[in-house]
Amino acid sequence: MSTLIEVENLTLQFKTDEGLVTAVDNVSFSLARGEVMGLVGESGSGKSVTAKALMHLNASNAVYSPESKITLHTEDGPVDVLSLRKPSDLKVVRGGAVSMIFQEPMASFAPAMTVGKQMIEQLQLHSSMTKSEARELSIEMLDRVGISDAGRRIDQYAFELSGGMRQRAMIAMALSTKPKLLIADEPTTALDVTIQAQVIDLMKDLVDEFHMGIIFITHDLGVVAQTADRVNVMYLGRLIEEGPVRSVIRTPKHPYTQGLIAALPKLDDLGAALTPVPGDIPSPLERPSGCVFHTRCGQIVSDACSSERPVEHQIDETHKTACHIYAEAAT
Amino acid sequence: MSDALIRAKRLSVGFPIGNGLFRKDILKAVNNVSVTIEKGSFFGLVGESGSGKTTLGRALLKAVPITEGEARYTDGEVDLDIATLEGAALKDYRKRAQLIFQDPYAALSPRMTVRDIIAEPLEVMKITKTREETDARVREIAAKCRLNLEHLRRFPHAFSGGQRQRISIARALVSGPQFIVADESVAALDVSIQADVLNLLKQIQSDMGLTFMFISHDLSVVAHTCDHVAVMYLGRLVETAPTRQLFAQPRHPYTKALFSAIPSLDPDDRGRAQKLTGEIPSPTNQPSGCKFHTRCPFAIERCITEEPELESDGSGHDVSCHRWRELIGVEPAI
Amino acid sequence: MSTTSAPTAVTQDQKAKEAYFTASQGQLIWARFKKQKAAMVAAVVLVILILSGLFAPFLSPYDPTIAGRDKDYTNGAPQIPQFCDKNGCSMRPFIHGVTRERSLATNFRWVTKIDEDTRLNLQFFVKGDSYKLFGFIPGSIHLFGVDEGKIHLFGTDEDGQDIFSRTLHAIWTSLRVGAIGVFIAFFMALIIGGVAGYYGGWIDSVIQMITDAVRTVPAIPLFMAIAAFMPPELSSEARFFYISLILGLIGWPTLARRVRTHLLTERNQEYVLAAQLCGAPAGHVIRRHLLPSFTSYIIVDLVISFPYMVLSETALSFIGLGLKDPVSSLGVMLQKATNADVLLNYQWYFIPVVFFIVLVMSFVFVGDGLRDAADPYSDKNK
Repeated sequence: MSTLIEVENLTLQFKTDEGLVTAVDNVSFSLARGEVMGLVGESGSGKSVTAKALMHLNASNAVYSPESKITLHTEDGPVDVLSLRKPSDLKVVRGGAVSMIFQEPMASFAPAMTVGKQMIEQLQLHSSMTKSEARELSIEMLDRVGISDAGRRIDQYAFELSGGMRQRAMIAMALSTKPKLLIADEPTTALDVTIQAQVIDLMKDLVDEFHMGIIFITHDLGVVAQTADRVNVMYLGRLIEEGPVRSVIRTPKHPYTQGLIAALPKLDDLGAALTPVPGDIPSPLERPSGCVFHTRCGQIVSDACSSERPVEHQIDETHKTACHIYAEAAT
Repeated sequence: MSDALIRAKRLSVGFPIGNGLFRKDILKAVNNVSVTIEKGSFFGLVGESGSGKTTLGRALLKAVPITEGEARYTDGEVDLDIATLEGAALKDYRKRAQLIFQDPYAALSPRMTVRDIIAEPLEVMKITKTREETDARVREIAAKCRLNLEHLRRFPHAFSGGQRQRISIARALVSGPQFIVADESVAALDVSIQADVLNLLKQIQSDMGLTFMFISHDLSVVAHTCDHVAVMYLGRLVETAPTRQLFAQPRHPYTKALFSAIPSLDPDDRGRAQKLTGEIPSPTNQPSGCKFHTRCPFAIERCITEEPELESDGSGHDVSCHRWRELIGVEPAI
Repeated sequence: MSTTSAPTAVTQDQKAKEAYFTASQGQLIWARFKKQKAAMVAAVVLVILILSGLFAPFLSPYDPTIAGRDKDYTNGAPQIPQFCDKNGCSMRPFIHGVTRERSLATNFRWVTKIDEDTRLNLQFFVKGDSYKLFGFIPGSIHLFGVDEGKIHLFGTDEDGQDIFSRTLHAIWTSLRVGAIGVFIAFFMALIIGGVAGYYGGWIDSVIQMITDAVRTVPAIPLFMAIAAFMPPELSSEARFFYISLILGLIGWPTLARRVRTHLLTERNQEYVLAAQLCGAPAGHVIRRHLLPSFTSYIIVDLVISFPYMVLSETALSFIGLGLKDPVSSLGVMLQKATNADVLLNYQWYFIPVVFFIVLVMSFVFVGDGLRDAADPYSDKNK
């Protein structure tokens, strides 16, 4: 599989009244074509900020470190995403080769435009289609994502659709330009379970059909287990564990990932006690030194935990984690 | 020791809708629901958005008016008819029944210190006489909810979601209630914090012998905390049973679908889920007969015309479905 | 060195944090407000302007009315105190004496000749025209003056009234009209908007209709109609009061709408429901929750609507419908700066205009700053 997007040493801070707040701290990963990567983290983990960086879409008070580099491999050669400035250049990462779907579909549809008008506009912006071709394709896409009566729905406004329908329409819109990379930011969080199951199913089908790369951002490990090939776990802006989905969920290596899984209520063992991860997620203004997780970690091995940033340790060929436990074991 | 604390019979809650001066429609958010909550139990109420679970919880607290049916609260000291409560009796009931909210941010006034927030019910209900007494009670409850007593002078903005939820719990407990409705009280919390709050609720419930009604959309959370579960769909109660029984052998097709829709944590267990088609109909435009027939894979003619009653088989496992007996053990095949 | 300073730095940090955690909403708003430079500068300017208006009788050297006129120096140019002239320097600032003449050669205009040999020394705390500070404390000491003759920092108008004195008094007059207008508007808004917001339902609908109806009344024709009703022989005090009243009666709907919206959102907050579930009576909810949640918004609203009141007063007086000449208000002063003669020959008439602009701008900046500081969402979208 060839590489689709590479993120190297991405560090991103926000300028605020209280000073610089680190949102993403030296994160590197890559994604191959047709691969589904789950990006898991709780609030403040920087998962959404990372995804937005891929589209160069963060607020104006965002400061990228000079080492940060994001390379998107398109048919026309590699694109250095962070160096793009002009709106015409940015098109490729915003709706062209990269599309995004959001948690709240209402927010991505303009309230005063019909669903169809927006889809057609977007298609025309990214291709040389005529209006009628674009409309035809839009109806086809709406039909494909399971919206019945697409020919009529296309002329409706987003608020006229139900929650699940809206989410489908957004997926249709995101996929209509045939992106190589789809970023899905908590696409099922606002939905009811029965609707969530439908949307997850739909996304799985679409991956097979369009063979695109997907970055699936979520806080829900169950959703990740159902959709992803590979999982990246983030905590307070750092990538702490990365590996194939089976290996990460069955044999988590980082104490945080272990804690997350232990804290999850499981249906196959109703009597099991829930084990919370002790403490609270620190505020972004009080970033812990050393390993960012050491304030809540139950497996501290040495003073290094609170003073040194752990390096990534390769557990096996594909599974790695940044934790001092494994550094100790290696020496 | 299996006395009912809350006993609701054929309870309905309707809201007038339509903003106009003249036109009035009634939206039945809760329709003909009967539940019994045993004293000292952790009663789970499950449903998707629009199922009426929040409204039912609030109706039992007399936060919304009950339009039809009856609801009784019996705790050994008093026996109250919730639907007709007013005046002094209502004030008394407020001490005995409290609510814990979902959003730990909206539920705390940003202009009051933690101490004042927790003390407010005491002052309003005139439970304590002096400031010293109030302070002592606040500190006692705060300690029970594992709040740092040093932090009582602080304002809510100093706290994270999990801590705020503990403050919210302390406020609900301070008047010494017997019955607590926890409405999606962990839904807004991160997974690593959620377990902590759930454990706290469980511990408080067993320490203080309280009765909880735990409202949630998350089946796995309910499965882990509650000992009895009721499932709602479009304002109706579709199934109710002891937790283990319900999870081992769900009878209503909707309950079965709900279970199978939970994403499994096993990556190799993909695609097993039996998905429901369609979405929950709008409460203003409800289907005839069984409310679930529009999405039910087993619907027959009778389901469209006749509304099923909640049937009891004597084991405490009640279900409202015309075909539940024939469907035992049958997985919905779609 | 570093070992001893480190722990204190930590405790300092802890203290700062604890201070933040225990800061009330008011303190947080103030802390955020302090961070905005433009608003802080505007606030300082505003305080100076208000104080100078408040102490106008003492700060200004002369009575602003015809009683304090300098009949020998009508339409006189501003006189700037100086330390040095061609005769050398002095420790004490002074101005030169003037002589004026008017003849055929000067087109019958007064021509002022500065007599560079006479020096009028600037004196402080001189006795001059008597006044009543705040309307009741009698006094006759003025901050500054000159030994003989008179000093006119901003020049004089056609009657020889000191423009500096008039400007200070005008600021005070305009602020007072604005304050009374805002107060009346606010009082009505609070009651009307409060009733609409608290009860909601059909009461709200009806009140909203009335509010909308009032909002559609165009202001200028209404002013003209009312001005026509006002008997010309009204004393300046009565006029002043009527103008304030009119401004208040026109200004309430916007405020009422904001009060209502705020009440409607606040009433549905979960913490209000929590209080109600404790059996809190309406009085308790209003006192403990609704009013406190309000105060910051109300203060912001008041500050923001203040400049509009001052503007309306000015506009009214400017088109001749409001206050009239013997009273010094910013509108009156502005009106005097409108004729061609002023543009060509007496540009110092414009000095009060600058004060007017600065006053309105500083209100706007302070209002904006307060709004940003009080907006609870401003720190959520980080």
